[in-house]
Amino acid sequence: MKKYIIICSTIALALFSCQPKDVDVNTLFKSQADVQAILDAEPEGYILYDQDHGGLNQFVADYMTEEGDYQPVRTRSTYGKFQMFSIDSIPVGGKGIYIMGRVTTDDWGGNFYKALVIQQMVGSTQHALRLSVDAGNASGLYAKGQLLLIRVNGLAIGKYANQPQLCVPTFNNNTQAQHAEEKVGWAPGRIPAAQFAKATTLVGQPQPGQLFYENLFIRDFIDILDCEQAREWDGKLVRIGNIHFTNQYANANGTLAPCTNGDPTTDGNANVFGPTTGNVGYPQGRVISDGQLNTIVSTSEYAKYAHMYLPDAEYVGTVEGILGFYEDNGRYAPTWKTWSISLRDLSDLRLVNAQGKVWEPTEYHK
Amino acid sequence: MRKILYTICALLLPLSIMAQTSLRGRVVAESDATPVVGAKITLGNQDIATTTNQNGEFNLVYLDPINEEVIVEQNGYLTKVVLFALMADQSNDMGTIELKVDMQQEMRDEVTLQLSEMDLNDDEGKSQSTSSGSNASNDVFNSNTGYAWSTVRYRARGLEQQNELTYINGINFNGMERGNFNYSMIGGLNDASRNKDEVNAIESNAFTFGALGKSTNILMDASRYAQGWKAGLSLANRNYKGRVYLTYASGLLDNGWAFAGSVAWRYSPYIDIKGIIGEGINYNSGGYFFSAEKQFNRNHRLSIITFGSPTMRGQSAAVTQEVYNLTGSINYNPYWGYQNGKVRNSRVVKAFDPAIILSYEWKINEEQSFKVGLGYHYSLYSNSALTFYNAPDPRPDYYRNLPSFLWDGQLDQNGNFITKDGAGRNIGTDVFWDPYADAVYTDKNGNQYDGRWIGSSVDKDAYQRLTNAWTSRDNATTQINWDDIYAANYAYDINNQSDPLRSSKYMLERRHNDIMESAANINYQNTEFQNLKITAGFEAKESQGIHYKTIDDLLGGTQWYDVDPFAERDIKELATNIGLTQADIEHVKRNDIAITNELDRVKKKGDKFGYDYTINMTKVAVWAQNEWNWNAVDFYYALKLTYSSMNRTTRMLNGRAWYLAQLQPDEDYYYLGMQYKQIRQGQYAASYQGWEHQFFDPSFKIGATYKINGRNRIKLNAMAETAAPLARDAYISPRVHDRAIQTIYTHDRANNLRDFYAASQRTVGYDLTYEFNFPIVRGRITAFQQHFWNGSELNGYYDDEARTFVNQSITGINRVHRGLEAAAAFKLGTYFTLTPMLAIADYHYTSNAYAVTTAENGMALAESSKGAMYTLNDSVLIKGLKVATGPQLNASLKLSFFHPKMWFADITISYFDWNYLDYAPARRMQGLFTGVRADGTAVNGSLASSDISNIALNKTEDGSWATDKYGTPVVNYPYNILTDQEILVSRNVWNRFIIDASVGKLIYLKNRQSLSINLSASNITNNTHMKTGGYQQSRLPRLTKQGQPDNVNSVISSNVWKFPAKYYYAWGVNFFLNITYKF
Repeated sequence: MKKYIIICSTIALALFSCQPKDVDVNTLFKSQADVQAILDAEPEGYILYDQDHGGLNQFVADYMTEEGDYQPVRTRSTYGKFQMFSIDSIPVGGKGIYIMGRVTTDDWGGNFYKALVIQQMVGSTQHALRLSVDAGNASGLYAKGQLLLIRVNGLAIGKYANQPQLCVPTFNNNTQAQHAEEKVGWAPGRIPAAQFAKATTLVGQPQPGQLFYENLFIRDFIDILDCEQAREWDGKLVRIGNIHFTNQYANANGTLAPCTNGDPTTDGNANVFGPTTGNVGYPQGRVISDGQLNTIVSTSEYAKYAHMYLPDAEYVGTVEGILGFYEDNGRYAPTWKTWSISLRDLSDLRLVNAQGKVWEPTEYHK
Repeated sequence: MRKILYTICALLLPLSIMAQTSLRGRVVAESDATPVVGAKITLGNQDIATTTNQNGEFNLVYLDPINEEVIVEQNGYLTKVVLFALMADQSNDMGTIELKVDMQQEMRDEVTLQLSEMDLNDDEGKSQSTSSGSNASNDVFNSNTGYAWSTVRYRARGLEQQNELTYINGINFNGMERGNFNYSMIGGLNDASRNKDEVNAIESNAFTFGALGKSTNILMDASRYAQGWKAGLSLANRNYKGRVYLTYASGLLDNGWAFAGSVAWRYSPYIDIKGIIGEGINYNSGGYFFSAEKQFNRNHRLSIITFGSPTMRGQSAAVTQEVYNLTGSINYNPYWGYQNGKVRNSRVVKAFDPAIILSYEWKINEEQSFKVGLGYHYSLYSNSALTFYNAPDPRPDYYRNLPSFLWDGQLDQNGNFITKDGAGRNIGTDVFWDPYADAVYTDKNGNQYDGRWIGSSVDKDAYQRLTNAWTSRDNATTQINWDDIYAANYAYDINNQSDPLRSSKYMLERRHNDIMESAANINYQNTEFQNLKITAGFEAKESQGIHYKTIDDLLGGTQWYDVDPFAERDIKELATNIGLTQADIEHVKRNDIAITNELDRVKKKGDKFGYDYTINMTKVAVWAQNEWNWNAVDFYYALKLTYSSMNRTTRMLNGRAWYLAQLQPDEDYYYLGMQYKQIRQGQYAASYQGWEHQFFDPSFKIGATYKINGRNRIKLNAMAETAAPLARDAYISPRVHDRAIQTIYTHDRANNLRDFYAASQRTVGYDLTYEFNFPIVRGRITAFQQHFWNGSELNGYYDDEARTFVNQSITGINRVHRGLEAAAAFKLGTYFTLTPMLAIADYHYTSNAYAVTTAENGMALAESSKGAMYTLNDSVLIKGLKVATGPQLNASLKLSFFHPKMWFADITISYFDWNYLDYAPARRMQGLFTGVRADGTAVNGSLASSDISNIALNKTEDGSWATDKYGTPVVNYPYNILTDQEILVSRNVWNRFIIDASVGKLIYLKNRQSLSINLSASNITNNTHMKTGGYQQSRLPRLTKQGQPDNVNSVISSNVWKFPAKYYYAWGVNFFLNITYKF
């Protein structure tokens, strides 16, 4: 009997479980062959909007309409035939519909919130699309330079202030918003994180070096006011050279005015990147100029660098960031449209003065 | 020493009278004739008792020569009653008394022990606890309810574990910091812990002063164990699936030595079958016990005992009703996911609490004994948890990952979906026109209509897809996605290889809560005086609660940068408060500002990080008890005096503590401890000593037993005491700073008696018991009432308005516990016993409490007319609320069968009711309902003090609100939250019943060997609607009106159930098979 007990105990000890091994990095990031296997597994075939099939712009063109198929939308954002807010559903069934793109954003700096932008090169043309994802710090999962394959069936494509984006429909009932009654209606909403994760495949390891920066002058985009054309430019990763900050802000009507030396916690016009908005939550615009034309660097008041002083005008150099086109008040200000550059963080600014001194950010202090 | 003892006795001096009638005998196990050590022998008609020695022998003296009913009881054996006529002035000999083994005891002990071990299951601020497994056979109520009601985590008289004391060989093992006994230290060692003395609630006590609840002394001297080998095998479908154990005891050898030892192992592999008990958890627990005893002669014996139970086990979590509904299972566990195809649980407990005890007993003479005990144990307890930094929350049941989040505002208070609006329209699927809304809608053609569109916040397809993912138990949706976590860490490293301060996005941290305790105990007993027994004791304990975090697994990442992510978002608040820059904020975020080289903040696997502090606790108590015994009346009284102290030592100087000291320089000592001046001056050290808090608490108890006759008696007991707060409730934010709760602050600076006891809980308890013991029925009925005044608690939670972690110290908690306990065992013929049992009680709060709320990172939580408010003081409206401590109505009927050929069986049907949801103080603040806090400040910071009186409080059937000077609701909070407390029992009466059954057989083999087989099944009807407990989430959703500053016009969302309660459910049908072989 004793012998039997000893044998049993020995066998039992051998059954002790052990911790799972680390996940092999090669299994996490799919190869092109894996991507093909995913596509080939679609029972009814697939459509992949890659560079050979029109890219992201073609995807938007195929599924996004002016009015959308969800009604009503907010009345404040309608102008003639143009709907600045709309949603079009993407079929759930049928062929698998896929888009691909490389993430250009990073929310570490706090200037992007629950939003990603992907980039795809079609020939030498950059296509871009915003992705609205309900995940704080989404860059933690979808890093800058990461190539994504997204199965978009069952999601939606819509316009939010004329910015096309992959989304899900939501109905805005927020009674606390300013002009709340005019904002009631369907609007592009954030894709639930779990749903987005399920739809998304990480293709290869992140390669930020593969990102394409479109070198522009302000004149290349600032006069584009046609909505349909502007939408194709929205979201592009751009680099603009020879710019400097003018120490001005753009007010609600787009008029430029000098910044103040006020306290950014109370003064929305202070000479920092992102002073308070009094809890309205819009991004703050600070003017940059290439000597001929102006545009705006757009910063959230929640960005880590929001209270950094604006660079003096003597510092000149390049700015990189996400180009944005914004137009939401079609009912009362149909001609008011805004172009802006959103920085990922302050490393997107490379400025030097005439003496060769590199601009270093300094922070507001009471 | 002897002189001292006699001096103590002299204070309580009696008279003595000699007597001659005595009784002796020997108790053995029927199965193998081995002596039964420690069996209790009670003379029912004289109420005199003793216990058997190492040879199973007993001897009672000074007896009345009457016909006596001798009751022989021992844990693990069936109680035996023998009628015996005592002859006057003789030494009466009962000969050998044989006891039958109670096979079900093994099973009952193991099941209740399992539940007790799970008490420390979570660190979310709430955990379920159960009464220690009380299956001792000397009380009909305790012996039956301990197991039968363990399903619903029954707590006797609603008492917390600090009111139940557990000793091992006379050494107190209740941890000083939490007040509880750590059952995992004896996990699986049922044989080793079976011998015990139990004293029910407030009664006279031979080994300690006692408490309001039960006191248990587990006796582990080697000579107490039956000689021989015992091996066992258990199978179950509970948290562990199998158990093996082996026990050996030498008995008392001729040379005076006795040895006993036991080893045990319990195991469950990771379970990946969804929806079954133990889903996603593993269990791997060993256990050892060794005891050696030397009896030098009749008067001196020495024991050394050591035991421990290294355990590693996965955990499961309470979740919301929505999640239970979606997954269709009460066994859903969000803590696990697949990694490399294997189940991996994110919450793994590692516990090992090795203990050593040295006991010396000196029997001075037949009437006096002196016991000394020394004990030491080092409890290593840690659990792992996922943490993340600048990455999405990985928890699958995070509220934003659930379908209800898409339907923002569509949960009722029970966490169920509201599917129809008041007009019967489908919410979530329909968008509809409300023509009565006070609005004008203009369509895209410019046409205007009165009314507005309203509808769900998301379209039905999106909602349905997410719902389907949950109901189908899609792995990526309902479980932790380990692959995503590894990918995030790999990707981050790829992008940031050149950054020496980079930090993984995710990692598993291990939260250590170790305890190192040394204890000493002296017990002196004197029975040399006729009718009087004197017991006196001294207890001393030194304890250190050691708390720190280590990196358990970087999950593919390479390093972790040690700052507090919660401090990240407060740039605005901190900048506003004292003009901190982002650079300052980076300083505040640091968990140890004494580190000057940033690279030293980079942590690798196994490194300490986050916090590292110790709570040092000391307790010294002396007590004495006199028991007077006469023919008709027994009477006792006892007094205890307790000194205790605590202080906190930290080895990391937290940036938030530094910040608070900057913010409130007049009270910087409050946060930084005794070295505050040096710290303010930048003089850092290896550790920082906190302030010492000292308490002095008296306890007194008194009781009497009136023996109506030999079969009926009435007992009356009462106790009053004050008790210092537990260390776990004493510090507002012990991970960050040294600040104690407000009442301790008052106590520390007391210059009068009232303030000196400002922090101590005051308790008065009393009970009245009627006991009866007839040949066909025995049992008791007890009525009890206990008053608690000035209790304190500490809660921590994420505050939606402040968007940071806050701590809430609740003081002035007053409550009353009263009720009735009753049980009786009726013998129905030769084979059957019917045992009804009942506990009906009312535990409720008798007044409102007081809450002090502060942000862990020190930010201001509100604005007032006087400026930023760093501390919110408010009343917690809990008067009349039920105390959530399990069902307050428990009733069972048990039918037991016993056949002399050693067949056992029983079936128990139980009914449970009046079980209430635990409240969250944050949901019951006065300010929520009136707009004005108890300290006179307005909830809406925009109000000038002159406006406060103008707030109009409206109460309607469905709401209560006040408006500010702008006409904006200050609060938007349903008034019925205050009046309705969710009851956890099912509306269907049949779902309040649980049926348990067991069957067993004992087989005697040759050579005194035996084999026992026992199968028990609990909840055999698989009732999956039995909630055993639950708690409200503290977090309340807020809306801030656009264009207004924070804390101004911030109102609670009408969707107050956005963060609904979380629940625990009783297991469905489960079994336990136990096979024991004695040889």
